[in-house]
Amino acid sequence: MQAVKDVSFTLPKGAVLTILGPSGCGKTTLLRMIAGFDAPTSGEIFIQGQAVSSVPPHRRSIGMVFQKLALFPHMTAAENIAYPLKMRRFDPASIPDLVDRYLNIVQLAGMGDRRIHELSGGQQQRVAIARALSFSPDLLLLDEPLSALDKKLREEMQLEFRRIQQELAVTTINVTHDQREALVMSDEIIVMSDGVIQQADDPVRLYRQPSNRFVASFIGLTSLLRGTLVRIQGPDVTVRVGAGELHGRTAADGLSAGRPVESAIRAEQVRILGPDDPTGHFDNALQAVVVQQIFEGDRMVYQVRCPELGDALIFAFDHDPADRKRYRKNDTIQIGWNSRDLLVYEDSESRHL
Amino acid sequence: MSSDKPAFKYPLSWRILDHAENVAALWPRRWSPLTGYLLLLPALLLVFVLVIGLVYIFDYSLHELDLATYRLKDAFSLVNYHVALKSATYRTVVLRSLGASFIVTAITTVLAFPYAYVMVRARSSGTRKFLLISLFLPFFIGQVVRAYGWLIILGKEGLLNTLLASLGLPPIKLIYNYPAVVLGLVQYMLPFAVLLIAPAITAIGEEIELASESLGANWVKTFRHVVIPLAKPGLVGSAVVVFTLTLTDFAMPEILGGGTTDFIANSIYDGFFQLSNPGLGSALSMILVTLGSVFVTVLFSLAGTGTLVSRENVR
Repeated sequence: MQAVKDVSFTLPKGAVLTILGPSGCGKTTLLRMIAGFDAPTSGEIFIQGQAVSSVPPHRRSIGMVFQKLALFPHMTAAENIAYPLKMRRFDPASIPDLVDRYLNIVQLAGMGDRRIHELSGGQQQRVAIARALSFSPDLLLLDEPLSALDKKLREEMQLEFRRIQQELAVTTINVTHDQREALVMSDEIIVMSDGVIQQADDPVRLYRQPSNRFVASFIGLTSLLRGTLVRIQGPDVTVRVGAGELHGRTAADGLSAGRPVESAIRAEQVRILGPDDPTGHFDNALQAVVVQQIFEGDRMVYQVRCPELGDALIFAFDHDPADRKRYRKNDTIQIGWNSRDLLVYEDSESRHL
Repeated sequence: MSSDKPAFKYPLSWRILDHAENVAALWPRRWSPLTGYLLLLPALLLVFVLVIGLVYIFDYSLHELDLATYRLKDAFSLVNYHVALKSATYRTVVLRSLGASFIVTAITTVLAFPYAYVMVRARSSGTRKFLLISLFLPFFIGQVVRAYGWLIILGKEGLLNTLLASLGLPPIKLIYNYPAVVLGLVQYMLPFAVLLIAPAITAIGEEIELASESLGANWVKTFRHVVIPLAKPGLVGSAVVVFTLTLTDFAMPEILGGGTTDFIANSIYDGFFQLSNPGLGSALSMILVTLGSVFVTVLFSLAGTGTLVSRENVR
């Protein structure tokens, strides 16, 4: 069984790279190989230009924050932070100052004497980050340490981590299945699936220009429409979905008329309009029936059915729903979007037939 | 769909439990706060019976044997303790038992810890199963039979000496001495120690060891600073069990010592059944109980009372 194959990337100094993917995509295996806990069967890992495959974990200059934090419960917070300094034979006289400095950086000043079980979940995260950074490693690895926190604390810690990372300018590789965390914390994101890199890009480009159907559907709330290519002219394409024709754009090479394609549209690009509202500048406008409405506080998510598109289901956001008309189940409405927001990909499943 | 055979079958264990609950429902509801104590009662009774026995033994120990009648005198006296503590023989026996307890505890812990560690951490389930079965096998054999097994191997005409003879070498006396008893005891105690240490190692997350490595510790330092301190509850528990079982052991010194290496329990046996002096046997018993209690108390006060039941959430 191959957990990871054909993965190659370079990380500039001081940057944060996030490896994003569903569970079982090989991202943790990759991280364990970088840390030295597992050995790659082929290939090489370089840190600051040095090949490290034959270097045992304790000789690599890598700080790691583990999924379950793996703090030492029989030591205090300060002792946890001092541990790598002692093991790496730092000058004992310098250790107390370093411990204080890193307690300050993670905003735990004065809490050094606390035992691990006397700290809250967020404070334990901070100790784990300080422990992984106190010996100034060349590289910091994060193995989904935030995944166990509740949403509010997790989002707070994402920003907090970004602040610490920028303050220390430490090169970081983060692994997560949380797309928000990836977008918020990274300079560069690698999306992985089945042990293969699907796309490597900066967060904005990754979100706006997903290079394939997997990335488009993995990030954001995306509706996929299966159809046939009708016309193609440069990046502009027309596809037939059910009985309707839609305008979109594509970055894929080798598409030609008649080929099966999948079109992806993000929920926030779909505009909801009343049955009689003018469709204005949208070059794709359709009649639809509300299937369900999901209230998320800051927005209303509608799932609608388009009879014209062979009853295809499409998600649409309505932000700040307090200002707008609410539509109920089975209401007939109109939806519209711009052709540049409909991304057309080769149908990945029919390709193998 | 056919209605004659429903797809879902109510499991037998659920039906049995339903009946059990119906029976349990006969117990008046307002007595339910007492239920827990009621279930505790049988075990408490068993311990209490032991205490009664101990009180009687303590009473015996305070009465001197009347050599004219071979019955204990009515008058209270400390003669038995005087005899037990003054006699060079008994002092040797006590020191020998204590010494063996320390030696056996030390050797067993050193041998059991790596065994338990590998048994818990081995990647291959085959290795884990092999180690576990090897551990349980001796339990099915029992102490006496195992001691005789050693006799067969180490005895005057045992396997080892036969081998030596076939090589033209003179026989060696390998049994009826102190090392033979210690060897037999270590072999006997090893499974207990491993079984007590293993859960403590299981409780240490593997991530904690990886963390220690990534922070710059090699495996020796990881063991010293992380694994052994975190396994302390298991190590203390194992030490208490091995020490007290050795201190009170009867069969190994009896069989492998052959009368040359008596422990306290052998002397107690002799006191009761050879000398027919229950007073002296009881006094020796009280000394044994005291020694064991002192050791356990000292160990727990050194290692902390929290070691038996760890309340800290080990992550």
